[in-house]
Amino acid sequence: MHISEGVLSPGVLIAGAALTTAGVAVGLKNLDHEEIPSVGILSAAFFVASLVHVPIGPSSAHLILNGLLGLILGWKAFPAILIGLVLQALLFQFGGITTLGVNTLNMALPAVMCYYLFGWGMRLGTKQALFTVTAFACGACSILISGVLVGFSLYLTGEAFLPAAKLVVAAHVPVMLIEGVLTAACALFLRRVKPELLEGQYGPRLSSS
Amino acid sequence: MGRDFRRREPAFIGRWRIACFLCAASWLLCFHAPAWAHKVMIFAWVEGDTIHTQSKFSGGKRAKHARVVVYDKEGNQLLEGKTDEKGEFSFKVPKRTDLKIALKASMGHLAEWTIPVEEIAPILDEAEGSPEVGPQVTTNEAAPLTQTETAAEPPAPVAVGLSRQEAKALIDESLDRKLAPIVKMLADQVGRGPTVSEVLGGIGYIFGLAGITLYFLSRRKG
Repeated sequence: MHISEGVLSPGVLIAGAALTTAGVAVGLKNLDHEEIPSVGILSAAFFVASLVHVPIGPSSAHLILNGLLGLILGWKAFPAILIGLVLQALLFQFGGITTLGVNTLNMALPAVMCYYLFGWGMRLGTKQALFTVTAFACGACSILISGVLVGFSLYLTGEAFLPAAKLVVAAHVPVMLIEGVLTAACALFLRRVKPELLEGQYGPRLSSS
Repeated sequence: MGRDFRRREPAFIGRWRIACFLCAASWLLCFHAPAWAHKVMIFAWVEGDTIHTQSKFSGGKRAKHARVVVYDKEGNQLLEGKTDEKGEFSFKVPKRTDLKIALKASMGHLAEWTIPVEEIAPILDEAEGSPEVGPQVTTNEAAPLTQTETAAEPPAPVAVGLSRQEAKALIDESLDRKLAPIVKMLADQVGRGPTVSEVLGGIGYIFGLAGITLYFLSRRKG
């Protein structure tokens, strides 16, 4: 998912950086004093997840966890993923500094989209089965959308869209399944152990703030 | 409501419980699976008149059937090929220039390796017998002749005249053979994944940033 330096054209890089800046601004505006620890922890989880390699499929793929971040953080996934990617670029040389904007957008935008698509399932009133299914779908779909976005970024630089997107998505099918299961497991764990965290995002507090 | 009351105190403790859980989970995942990563790398070396390249994802999985493109110093494309099952691709030295070898794996991955002209030039001189070297060779052949006249010792000069090129080829060949394992080892070293200290350092940075943000926010409030 990390696009290397020197692959994309300057226009795509600038557009990606601009959109990411907007997303981070929205995320920081929503950031509440009490939520900073969870943003930090999930950012750290995102940072480490990229080291968990899934050795299935044609290429090298790894966990991303953007579905989980979107589910718990909503728009705050933007700053969390940005920080994770900065450190991955500096310490692991994944992606690069110039592609930071595009890479953040490719991973954080699906997180926010899935937050709106599947967040309704996270309300505490929902039945456990529905809750699990929406959490799974959230984890899997965010990877799918990320793959399509990576394909789209490459397309804007001149590669054919369908082959590029197909390749990225095909490489990430195992990751999609694993992330779906992981996201569902984490969401269920939170629902049981710390419902306030989900409530903070989806409960009545949202309307008051 | 009761929920509001409950929120006050245990929220912080609960948060730490989750923190511990996530840390433990990521720790386990991190050290259970080999620390593999998402990056491509290419390593190239000269052997005889051929340039060998080895391409892989960091962590060691070879990049199979990936595009390798060779450029000269000015960025003109010289040749292009695909890696084999072992992620290797070899080609003859195409031109006397700094070679920039780019690996273009799928999904926006790109890696580069440069071979400076100094590594290629002597081989080209030898193989093509370029005009600069031509005269040198003839003088070498001429030298023994004059030597034979003066020293009047036929066998040794003949051996010297032959050996100049042959010995070099022999030495090169045996050196290539002896150094092959070391070159392979270097190629493997290039692909080392992130170390534990880098991983922990990154996590520390993130927690530190969260802490600093919290500190300033709490000061602003208080």
